[in-house]
Amino acid sequence: MAYKFPSEEWIAEFGKAINANEEYKRTAATWEGDVVLIFKAEPAIGLDEDFCVWADLWHGECREIKKVTLEEAQKAPFVIMGSYANIKQVFQGKLGPAKATTQGKIKVKGNLPTLVRHLKAIEAMIKCAASIPTKFLDE
Amino acid sequence: MGYDRSLSFIFRCPTKIVFGEGVAGDVGNEVDELGGKRAMIITDKHLVETDLYRQVEKALGRRYVGTFSAVEPDTGVHIVNEGTDTARKLNVDCLVSIGGGSVIDTAKGIAIPLKEGGRLEDYDGFQLLTEPAVPHIAIPTTAGTGSEVTFAAIIKDHQEKRKLVFANTYIIPNVALLDPLMTVGMPPHLTASTAMDAMSHAVESMHTSERIPISDAFALHAIHLIVNYLPGVMEDGNDLLARGQMLIAACIAGAAMSNTHVGLVHALAHSVGGRFGVPHGIANSILLPHGILYNLDACPEIYAAIARALGVDIRGMSDEDAGKKAADAIWELTKKAGLPQKLSEVGVPENGLEEIADLAISDGAIVYNPKPMDPEENLKVLKQAW
Repeated sequence: MAYKFPSEEWIAEFGKAINANEEYKRTAATWEGDVVLIFKAEPAIGLDEDFCVWADLWHGECREIKKVTLEEAQKAPFVIMGSYANIKQVFQGKLGPAKATTQGKIKVKGNLPTLVRHLKAIEAMIKCAASIPTKFLDE
Repeated sequence: MGYDRSLSFIFRCPTKIVFGEGVAGDVGNEVDELGGKRAMIITDKHLVETDLYRQVEKALGRRYVGTFSAVEPDTGVHIVNEGTDTARKLNVDCLVSIGGGSVIDTAKGIAIPLKEGGRLEDYDGFQLLTEPAVPHIAIPTTAGTGSEVTFAAIIKDHQEKRKLVFANTYIIPNVALLDPLMTVGMPPHLTASTAMDAMSHAVESMHTSERIPISDAFALHAIHLIVNYLPGVMEDGNDLLARGQMLIAACIAGAAMSNTHVGLVHALAHSVGGRFGVPHGIANSILLPHGILYNLDACPEIYAAIARALGVDIRGMSDEDAGKKAADAIWELTKKAGLPQKLSEVGVPENGLEEIADLAISDGAIVYNPKPMDPEENLKVLKQAW
């Protein structure tokens, strides 16, 4: 079955995929810090308000993942924001995370050196997202 | 030196570039064109005492409201916040920076919270701004950083002893006034080290994973200009033709770098500078040939093109041999310019190399190197350069 992206069901699958991924476990072994992903609202495709996902990531493990409000999301130490189309491209592996940020397609708040040091973990996480059977809102 | 079908890019260079002897005197008109009424100059304590500074202040006329001259080399978050407070008190709506990379980056930093509110540290990240920052006119007095056209500001957190990168297309200066007269007073050593900073921007912009044709064109011409005009400007610092060409080289190398980034050389140079205080241009100058040799097997055809731009006769050579000649040509250039050749000559202890190698893995530039790097690989390059 394909999970609607984004949805609470998809998020739950994402958390499971992260915890099942050995590459993520290894490359994120020193990662400490919660990460929020914000899809900007896009009513034309049925995303009426910003959709925010909070992931509690600690030493290669996803301890909790949930949908939160925008207000809560903005408190996270690391925040990744983008339009639905751009985040979808990254999650499909069509747009690299480094290029996406450079071109301004994705905004990143948080300590850049920490993110750079864990780029391989970020890439592993993207592979986890790509592995989930997904039904996109705009398709 | 081709590109494949997956090539896709965005090239940005929104800065209005004005070049010529005396163009710094046009600053008032540029402020008007940007809709500014209250301009503040950002500079350092040495430049503020010079005629160059006084000319710009005079040219601003009624638009001038004050000066922030507390910028130091390797500018810091605390300096930017102090400058922002000054600008807020003066109700500033346009910034004019006069100086080298540290001064221009300070102005970029001030432009962020001045528009968006809060303190600079609130914007630690990538592409976080929601609208264009306060208008900024940059008047470089060195020919190296290219900061007058780039989208990043390197600002040090002196407490944490690390350099932060504030990267955003909204902080690219609106106008760059490239006036050769503004660089005439630069001493030979600074002239050479800043030129090698520009050279490293040009070379590194070409070997990154984000290489694109427009940046390549800028970079190749920048390399050609530096190798042809640096010797002249070292011989005669008053040679305005050479000074001007060096300013152009630094500017277009900066535009190239701002679009395709830099790699291993800059990642190591930032770490060497952050940890042991080696000036950025010097660190780049020492590390650049080693970076070329390390990456040679990943993109020899690019280094062959660079060798040609450096004036090397590469006819009959393999790309690999031409790439080695590119490194040799850079060594020859820096030796002639009297620049240090080894990290051991500039106060980097051998037992500090491992720390630098590890630190560089957290530097954003490392992401774009043509070969993936880790601390062990970084250490190999550092040992060669030591």
